[in-house]
Amino acid sequence: MKHHVLARGRLAALAFALGAAVLALPASGATGSNPDIGSLDQSALAALPSFQAANQQLNDYGNSLRKQYLSRAAHASQSEQQRLGQEFQSKMADKQRQLFGPLFRKAQIAIASVASSKNLSVVVDKRIVVVGGQDITSNVRDLLTGIGDPVPPVSTPPPSTVGYVDQAAIDQTPKVKAATEEFLKFKQTQDQAAAAKLKSAKTDADRDAVLRDYRKTLDDKQNATLKPVVDATRDAISQVAKSRGLILVVDKGNIIFGGTDITSDVTAKLK
Amino acid sequence: MIRPIAVLVAAAALAACGHGSTQTTTPAPSGSGQIGYVRMDELVHKHPLYDQLARYDRSIEAFDLTSTAPSVATPDPQLAAREQRLERELSDAANRTNKLLAQKQKEYQAEENRAIDAALRGAASGGPSAAQIAGALNATAKQQQSGVAAQAQRDLETYRADLDKQDRAQVAAVQKALTDRANRTYRAKADELQAKESALSLQLANDDAPERLALRTKLSSLALDDTARDDAQKQLAAIDRKESDAVAAQRNRDQQTLATLQAELHDQVQHDLDAQVAQIRKRSLGSLAQRQAALAKQVRTLGSAPLIATTAGGKVEERANPNLPPALRARIQRLHEDYQKRFQADAKSTIAGFEKTREDLSRRYAELRGVDSSARRGAQAEIAALRKKRDDLYDQITAQIGREVRLIAQQRGISVVLTDVVAPAGGVDLTPDAMKDIESLHE
Repeated sequence: MKHHVLARGRLAALAFALGAAVLALPASGATGSNPDIGSLDQSALAALPSFQAANQQLNDYGNSLRKQYLSRAAHASQSEQQRLGQEFQSKMADKQRQLFGPLFRKAQIAIASVASSKNLSVVVDKRIVVVGGQDITSNVRDLLTGIGDPVPPVSTPPPSTVGYVDQAAIDQTPKVKAATEEFLKFKQTQDQAAAAKLKSAKTDADRDAVLRDYRKTLDDKQNATLKPVVDATRDAISQVAKSRGLILVVDKGNIIFGGTDITSDVTAKLK
Repeated sequence: MIRPIAVLVAAAALAACGHGSTQTTTPAPSGSGQIGYVRMDELVHKHPLYDQLARYDRSIEAFDLTSTAPSVATPDPQLAAREQRLERELSDAANRTNKLLAQKQKEYQAEENRAIDAALRGAASGGPSAAQIAGALNATAKQQQSGVAAQAQRDLETYRADLDKQDRAQVAAVQKALTDRANRTYRAKADELQAKESALSLQLANDDAPERLALRTKLSSLALDDTARDDAQKQLAAIDRKESDAVAAQRNRDQQTLATLQAELHDQVQHDLDAQVAQIRKRSLGSLAQRQAALAKQVRTLGSAPLIATTAGGKVEERANPNLPPALRARIQRLHEDYQKRFQADAKSTIAGFEKTREDLSRRYAELRGVDSSARRGAQAEIAALRKKRDDLYDQITAQIGREVRLIAQQRGISVVLTDVVAPAGGVDLTPDAMKDIESLHE
């Protein structure tokens, strides 16, 4: 009996140790060959002193522009105010390009350089990586904070099995655009109705009921209006992806470097 | 404009492609290793803490829809209009008083002119004496005083009714602000305790995860005999029971804390309300007394005017009749100057009284607005705190899902797992396996 208890205790201890070992494994230390997918924590780069300084300069410039605008717009006509607004927005955009353009170019070169040295075909935003991938954040940060500018890689990235689509471009195709506009118009009226109901709701239960009803109405409309378009879009993306030998397709916003752009193929198929 | 469909495309694409197939057949290209994916939204929906996350989402949605906290005292929409109306009424009353005084001034001037004419005639032909002139002026003044008193009484009654109406509105607004503040405090505490309870639940699940995993691994072994299997199942049940008991005990303590807080808040609201009502009443009574005193003074001043004569446009119209006895002329002149001085002082005091009352009311309304503005700032802070809590909870949930997914990926030889995938043309869908593990956290 004692032997059994001891054996069971050892087994439990072994299982525990195995479980703990599994839990303690680092994200990048996964099994098998590591695919050529890298990841980057963009917020870490944004925290670099050079980006922070540029951001501060842009804020200061924005504040100064705002003061100028207010003093000039105070006695201007409505059309003149509109013109002034555009003028100042354009100035702000120019300043942003001037301050961040060189930094972005430098960052792109650093990312490409690290990706090339690690033979990565694609670098994605770290937020969409649940497990694995090669986190190149620290390498890129080192290059950006080191002495001298990073050197561009001599080779182009290898073809990637991860594709991407520019969702904004797909949203502009006629059918998707019409469905989206119809839904948003419907949502606007529902928002107003729900807001009015919420104001007259007296208890938390009343408010919950209003919100549940609001959510269900929107879901129903979404299924009726957007779902057919969504299904067609999904089919088109899948077909294009398979024909191009891709494994996964993500949104362009999550791609930082490399990847295979299939947007034009998808939009052509949707027309 | 692009987000709704973008999100929907991603969610629907994954939902359609993932169901029923735990592993797609398209192999990864050589050299790139296996790539997996999960539908994180679906996994989050199945997490034990999702209900709380949904509650946060609903609260945030409610804030977004109403653009302000529905529970916070909304400013009285009639506040500005009421203030304007009251000021207008006060201004009208001031104008009426001024008009009345001007009218009296005119009448006194005419009376004075007649009296001086009579005095001059009397000096020449034995007419009325200075005492008779003063008597006639007194009689006229008494008649006028009675008119002014009646008008003043009417003004006072109007003012009293307005004050009473404003007091009721203020008390209602204060009561609402205090109740709403108490409700917010209570909800904030309830949210905080709920978050702690969730954190405890998560912590317990995390602490027991290795042991639970070991037992499950053991149970999945076909070679396990019935006794050992039964034993492992009992151990699993004991872990679940231990966690459930710990969370239940925490919940009981929290409910007790909330009940105590509710009682405290109720007392606090009552205490604050009593204090505020007393303050409002005191201010109103003060204003009313002040106004009453000002009007009484106005009436009294008119009552002491009979011996005074006035001039047109503030300019004395003297008739320098050398036949008038110097003593009488000097007396009339003195009385005239005295009347003019007191009349002007009285008019000034009356107007100043109105101005002071108006300022007092404006200040009180500004204070009320201050209460509302403070409540709105509190609501904004509450929204920000709510968003942070929501994000923290979401991060906790996805971190735990990530740990489960990592174990599954390890077991299945998947080296990279992504989420937010628009279209999985190949790759391994780990969602169903992860779903089972997440659902087992409910047990």
